[in-house]
Amino acid sequence: MSPKKPLVFNIISECKTSMARVGIMELPHRAVDTPVFMPVGTQGTLKGLLPEQLENLGLQIMLANTYHLGTKPGAKILKKAGGLHKFMNWKGALLTDSGGFQMVSLLKLAEITEEGVKFQSLNEQKAEVMLTPEHSIEIQNAIGADIIMQLDDVVATTVPDKDRIEESVHRTSRWLDRCLKAHQRPDDQNIFSIVQGTLFNDLRTQSIHDLIKRNVNGYAIGGLSGGESKDDFWKMVILSTSILPKNKPRYLMGVGFAIDLVVCSALGVDMFDCVFPTRTARFGCALTMTGQLQLKKAKYKFDFNPIDKDCTCVICKTYTRAYLHGIAARTPVACSLLSEHNIAFQLRLMKCIRDSIKENKFPQFVAEFMLGVYPDKDYPTWIRDSLAAVNISLL
Amino acid sequence: MKFTVQNVSKLRPRIGTLSNFGERKNGTLETPMLLLHSQGGQIPHITHEVFKLISKDAHILQIPLTSMHNFQETLEQYNGTITDFIGSKESLSCITFHDPSNITRQGHHAKNKVPLWTKNGIVYYDAPMYCKVLESYKPDMYFFISDGDTNKGSQQKRIQKAVDTTIHFYKDCLEGHKKSAILKNSFAMASIAGGYCLKSREKCMDVMLKDSEIGGYVIDGLHNNGPEIEFIPFDEVKSVAEFVMSKIPENKLMCVQGCWNPVNIVKFIQLGVDLFDTSYCRIVTERSSALTFSVDLQGELEEYEINLREHKYADDFQPIHNTCSCFTCKNYSRGYIHHLLTVQELLGPILIMIHNIHHYLNFFDTIRQCIKENTLNELEFILIKQFKNYEDSRKKNTAEISTFSEG
Ligand SMILES: [Zn+2]
Ligand SMILES: [Zn+2]
Repeated sequence: MSPKKPLVFNIISECKTSMARVGIMELPHRAVDTPVFMPVGTQGTLKGLLPEQLENLGLQIMLANTYHLGTKPGAKILKKAGGLHKFMNWKGALLTDSGGFQMVSLLKLAEITEEGVKFQSLNEQKAEVMLTPEHSIEIQNAIGADIIMQLDDVVATTVPDKDRIEESVHRTSRWLDRCLKAHQRPDDQNIFSIVQGTLFNDLRTQSIHDLIKRNVNGYAIGGLSGGESKDDFWKMVILSTSILPKNKPRYLMGVGFAIDLVVCSALGVDMFDCVFPTRTARFGCALTMTGQLQLKKAKYKFDFNPIDKDCTCVICKTYTRAYLHGIAARTPVACSLLSEHNIAFQLRLMKCIRDSIKENKFPQFVAEFMLGVYPDKDYPTWIRDSLAAVNISLL
Repeated sequence: MKFTVQNVSKLRPRIGTLSNFGERKNGTLETPMLLLHSQGGQIPHITHEVFKLISKDAHILQIPLTSMHNFQETLEQYNGTITDFIGSKESLSCITFHDPSNITRQGHHAKNKVPLWTKNGIVYYDAPMYCKVLESYKPDMYFFISDGDTNKGSQQKRIQKAVDTTIHFYKDCLEGHKKSAILKNSFAMASIAGGYCLKSREKCMDVMLKDSEIGGYVIDGLHNNGPEIEFIPFDEVKSVAEFVMSKIPENKLMCVQGCWNPVNIVKFIQLGVDLFDTSYCRIVTERSSALTFSVDLQGELEEYEINLREHKYADDFQPIHNTCSCFTCKNYSRGYIHHLLTVQELLGPILIMIHNIHHYLNFFDTIRQCIKENTLNELEFILIKQFKNYEDSRKKNTAEISTFSEG
């Protein structure tokens, strides 16, 4: 059934200009084409869409959150159900996070010690609970995702304290060892390690060197998209992709805006995830190649065009902007409709990226895409700089 | 659209057919049948795409004007039909004024106008305005507007006014229907008002029964819509329903709207009523329940419905119903749905609604089968038993809750 190794990554095409690459990542539940965007199904479901609809859209992999699933329905029930795939009837691949980031961001009272992340439980007893690397892996083993994440010591990118960041680099490596030791299902689940070091070149380099020594099948670039400037952000991405081994997938956590996906694919990233495309659907926002449509705006009231005439999704073939304008953010059904288009959009964008790399036209695609978003050519500096760093010039 | 009925005796259950849907749509529909209740152009919780997983058969979407009012200006400029606009080309449409799943606010009457509540206050509709809106919808079927703001408790004065207004609307709507090239081809249903007063009902019918343009009638004014209709005892409405059904010519399509329970649906069908709606599925779904009552005359009685919010379903990995062939039951467990409800995810009500609509459509298949085989009494009998068990346990629960809150 599952391949002998739970992850086989083959690079099938490389951009001759930039660092972009196309790969096939074979996972226990299915093969995934990279670069890939993974939508976030936090609670084991994706914004009112049936897994069958997601399959029809061509979705190959999605993300679920360990902290939420560990709380409800809990590891015991997931185990009894035979894992999350069976529980939610999803036949594609799954990735779970470690739960650590969610705790630090959701629970103000979380405190990190060498043992793990200590926090006050949200249940009635308000008991102090500890999420250790072992515990995170135990829950993730019960969920049974194809890719699971190590627990990492998350420090906000806005923290200036270099000693604290250095501590997080070392602790993250130590926690990786504990995660690998606790891992009960190495034959059908892959642990990815997470690069730390926030915005310090030397610490990030050290983090990568430490992690490379350990035996993992993929790497996440952590500690970014936490409020740092875009100029800092892209430099840390390219630093990481330049040092990370070429033959393993690289996953940039929490990134999903179209522009970021295009730039970071050029910088050599293979995997992305973000709640944005589905979360924004709830507020009536539809994504297109040239930007976002706020469908609640009055200008769409008499607009009988589809969201995007080039989109082949059911929504664009069925509904006008005028209709969506009238139901957007009013009914639960509207949320499902816009989520479906937005996921279709993300998948189409990634396919365009992959196809243009394969056809050796990636630099042109990037330049045309950016011109579409910035028709007046007022490109932000970070976009010019980051693309110049991989030899792509704008139109 | 054309209605033909096979059994022409009065106050008897009957099988009929709706056919001749025009150039764009094929097929025939058999009555008694359900209109698929929608809001804002979609069946509550379910997109048209998902509905295709439940059924690919021909169907009529009931589109309440109240839920589409905000599209009025848009539709005036739109070229297609209402079903094109809402993204369901293959559906037939039936426009009603009110939404049977929501309580209609009482009062605020104005002479020969009917109030519609919107976010920005009341909009008053009269018949010419209503006809103008309908022309932009180009519906396959529609209800005449009426003053249906009566119920069991209504005073004679209110009933009289309702009848007068409704007759006035009738005349205007009929004129609008005849004059309009678009509406002329649409199946017109006139609404009979008059609350629980037989004389008033008669007054209404005296005006309405002779025009050949009218394809069918709605027994309106029995209630003010919303979830409470489920528990109206049939004895309350029986005499009005019988009275109206005995007067109406047999070749007319007869409709009763609202969230009636399955027992009362069958009782209406026993009197010859042909057309209902699925608003009941919405209210059951929104109390997190899945319908599980049996319609198998040979089989065991079942629990009427199960509430998937109950904790006992957390680790229950069976489908909602073991023998159900719906999309939800074939792929998802009670435990998963319980989880989705607990964490308030959109997919929870979606999965329940898929099952409930499937169950209800299947219930109507059985009804038609029973009429053909002359076994509708047996079906009524098992439904009464199952619904009574549910009502009793519901009363017990309410009693327990009130004792608890007093103590
Ligand atoms: Zn689309
Ligand atoms: Zn079912």
